[in-house]
Amino acid sequence: MNTEKKWFSLNLGRKKESASTCGCGKSGGCGSHEAAPTPEKDGFDQVFDVPMSRRSAFKKLTASLMIGAGAVHSSCSVTAGDETKEKAQIDWEEQFKGNYKLMNDEEKKATVDRLVRSYELRKGDKINMSSKNAEPDVLFGYAFNISKCQGYMNCVSACVEENNQDRNSEMQYIRIHELKDGQGLKFDEADDNYYHEVPAEGHFYLGTQCFHCDNPPCIEVCPVQATWREDDGLVVVDYDWCVGCRYCMAACPYDGRRFNWSTPEVPEEEVNKNQHYLGNRLRKKGVMEKCTFCVQRSRAGKNPACVDACPTGARVFGNLLDPNSTIRWVIENKKVFRLKEDLGTEPKFWYYMD
Amino acid sequence: MRAFIKIMTVLLLCSVFFISCKKHKESDYHSVIEKIEAEGKHYKGTSISSEEYIAEKDLIEVTEGDKTFLIPERKKHLTMYECTECHAKPLAEMRDPEVLLPRSHWDIEIVHGDAKTMNCLTCHSGANMNNLHSLTGEAISFNKSYQVCAQCHTSQFKDWKGGAHGKNISGWAPPRAINSCVNCHNPHQPKFNKRWPEVFNVHKELQRK
Amino acid sequence: MATFKVFRSLVKDSFNVITQGSLRYHLWMGALTLVMLIGMYCYSIQLEEGLSVTGMHDRVSWGLYISNFTFLVGVAAAAVMLVMPTYVLKDMDFKQAVLIGEGLAVAALIMCLAFVVADMGGPSVLWHMIPGIGVFNFPNSMLTWDVIVLNGYLFINITVPLYILFRHYQGKEAKKNVYVPGALLSVFWAVGIHLVTAFLYQGLQARPFWNNALLGPRFLASAFAAGPALIIIILAIIRSSTDFKIPDKTIRKISIIVTVAAQINLIMLGSELFKEFYAPTHHSESAYYLFFGLHGKNALVPWIWTSICLNLIATTILTIHIFRRNNILLYFACFILFIAIWVDKGFGLIIPGFIPGPYGKIAEYTPTGIEIAVTLGIWALGAFIFTILAKTAIAIETGRLRYKETAVVKKDHYENTVLDTDKA
Repeated sequence: MNTEKKWFSLNLGRKKESASTCGCGKSGGCGSHEAAPTPEKDGFDQVFDVPMSRRSAFKKLTASLMIGAGAVHSSCSVTAGDETKEKAQIDWEEQFKGNYKLMNDEEKKATVDRLVRSYELRKGDKINMSSKNAEPDVLFGYAFNISKCQGYMNCVSACVEENNQDRNSEMQYIRIHELKDGQGLKFDEADDNYYHEVPAEGHFYLGTQCFHCDNPPCIEVCPVQATWREDDGLVVVDYDWCVGCRYCMAACPYDGRRFNWSTPEVPEEEVNKNQHYLGNRLRKKGVMEKCTFCVQRSRAGKNPACVDACPTGARVFGNLLDPNSTIRWVIENKKVFRLKEDLGTEPKFWYYMD
Repeated sequence: MRAFIKIMTVLLLCSVFFISCKKHKESDYHSVIEKIEAEGKHYKGTSISSEEYIAEKDLIEVTEGDKTFLIPERKKHLTMYECTECHAKPLAEMRDPEVLLPRSHWDIEIVHGDAKTMNCLTCHSGANMNNLHSLTGEAISFNKSYQVCAQCHTSQFKDWKGGAHGKNISGWAPPRAINSCVNCHNPHQPKFNKRWPEVFNVHKELQRK
Repeated sequence: MATFKVFRSLVKDSFNVITQGSLRYHLWMGALTLVMLIGMYCYSIQLEEGLSVTGMHDRVSWGLYISNFTFLVGVAAAAVMLVMPTYVLKDMDFKQAVLIGEGLAVAALIMCLAFVVADMGGPSVLWHMIPGIGVFNFPNSMLTWDVIVLNGYLFINITVPLYILFRHYQGKEAKKNVYVPGALLSVFWAVGIHLVTAFLYQGLQARPFWNNALLGPRFLASAFAAGPALIIIILAIIRSSTDFKIPDKTIRKISIIVTVAAQINLIMLGSELFKEFYAPTHHSESAYYLFFGLHGKNALVPWIWTSICLNLIATTILTIHIFRRNNILLYFACFILFIAIWVDKGFGLIIPGFIPGPYGKIAEYTPTGIEIAVTLGIWALGAFIFTILAKTAIAIETGRLRYKETAVVKKDHYENTVLDTDKA
């Protein structure tokens, strides 16, 4: 255990967890955290727990406005039924709800219920939305075999279908780069939008998506904490909290983030109704979204859609903390590398070869 | 006035210093590998399981080395098993054009190794049609056909056992179920075929024009 | 209560001042209003359709709005170059210019905020950013720093001149110990808004074009060239169209600031070019794209070379004493310098940062009509606000606008003078 400080670290209202931190600003590590089984929420979350109650005060303030608006609305339209009122009520509560990251389980459930009800009122169809939290002792990781990928892009289409991505702008989380043999990872000369028989002679294929970095630059820059890293390592976005400044997009070195430049459209019959709040629920315009390792699937024990769709088995997904998991075996036994490792982003997405 | 300027300078320096100190959570480590090692040391297992996803699948458990996992049952799903239902006589007799037998797998062409290395009898046993056999003539069940493959493809076998090769069919959570060799590769023509990609992004193409 | 009454009278008076003027003034304001209305209409389209109506896309996710924002932060910071000599170095030559400079800062900051809001995907949830009600990711996100410094700077630049004008309006001298600390604070603050805005880009390891240590200093140098250059032009316009006295000496002094800043800016530009092209690495691709084009894509090449040429011409004119002392040449130099830096900070800084993308892909950016209209609308808004502020300030400073106990007398008095001056 190392008690010597290696460099200065600013402790902004964070609770001193235990004396056993190694104190190196980047914190913890050095195997010194065995004694802390329950991770403390960081100081800022605690500070901002207070504004959550302040927000309810804010809500009360605006409640009078709502009553006024509601009165006008109902007096104007004689036919305004209960459903219309309920819709308005839901919309109102959704507009002024808090940040999902800081919600407690009840609040999470409440917002999910509202969203499900809202969808039912609008489309007359039930969806199944989860607000399942990160499981302890789980840290998701991903490995990609560049010798096996044949460039079929089944993963891309499966991802689009699973995650309800905008069909109009053809949004895709995954990019498959067709790289030339003998040129190494020369991405600028690679083609990531090929359309010819694959695998093409003299080429190999490498897929990129959000790497769910352990030290993600995107979450640091978000001015409203609308994107964060969950305890199981998933980097997620609260679509309802995002203000759409696209700073995270500029900060991501891996092209992992997508923006809804216009209202995303998914044909009714193609909507995947098995949803998660942080995952594939329907988005609105002007918000960021990204790969979540299919949180709606992965938190239920399934593989992400891309892994299941891959016909070559080039994609490996699993729990990094489980010493018997396949992902651990790959990392420990294959020659693995990650992209742009020198940036210090610590992606949890490894590439390997046979 | 001087004092004021001094205070302001200090404040400015402080703020600049402040910027340079990024907040780091207690749970951060120097690298993700360190984090995995430290946090994985006391791994107690998770409540998440993929049991329910494999319930409908017909799987058998195999143990190879220190790994135990599930692979799809093969024999039950072979259309013509047991082979001896037809292969009751020696092959030479069955090939006789005079004998009228329903034709089966007559069109199999081996694109696997070259003729010096591989023919039908490298894997299939003329004497014991219901099983495969190893190079030394040891019988190998169709359910464990991977053992036949593993004789030559040792590195692939190692990767497959570990998890670097082969497609997971259960979900990431234990228990682990994985496709056997023959579930992805046609043993007679193991190479994957060329085909057209699943999607093409018109939007992206236009954007880069 | 008495103060409040005076203030109400000031607001009423200034409203009278700004609603009256020559035909040229009305035409000017009318034109600005028209441009603003067109901008607002286009913004309403953008609100309805989403940001897809702009030229931005996943590759180049910041465009004209953020470019102008970046540039205007510089203009706003430039006011400091006038405040510092006046209050800190006790050089009174600038006193006339300070109010104009601070008015310019206010207008520029409002434009900055408008540009940021225009760029947001969800302006209806901007309250998420308000500390206390929303979640303010401070100090991690440089954007939150920027929100703080910009609003703080706006506050200082509104209160200091307001206090001075308010005192002058009542015919009293402004108390030095009240406004000098504020003025001094704004000096540091101006450097702050600039560095923080530079750090916004500089801190992104994903974008090597921005991720260099010179970005902040170069921001400062170019801002201290472009901002005062704009002030010189505005002072020249004010001098020729109102009776507000601005001595030649003031303009000479400001022109020296512009000259020095422009020279430093050129040195830094040289240093950047040397670094990018002497030993080009993979990280120099953005610079290659900007200056020479990459893989046949060269939309920015004409812009940046125009900018560099204008910059060189302007700096040369400013550096040679005889030329700089010639007012016409000086105004011309300031004008082209302003344009040069606008192009440089706008197109030359933000857009190439995104090109090529993280995986070397190039998708170019061309602003759409709607985007340009919104941008022009915001510029018109800035000009509108500045005109209002400047007109009121000039009326007070020239003594035409004074608080009178009886409103009737005041109104007459003031109307006459306004009409007189406008005729003149």
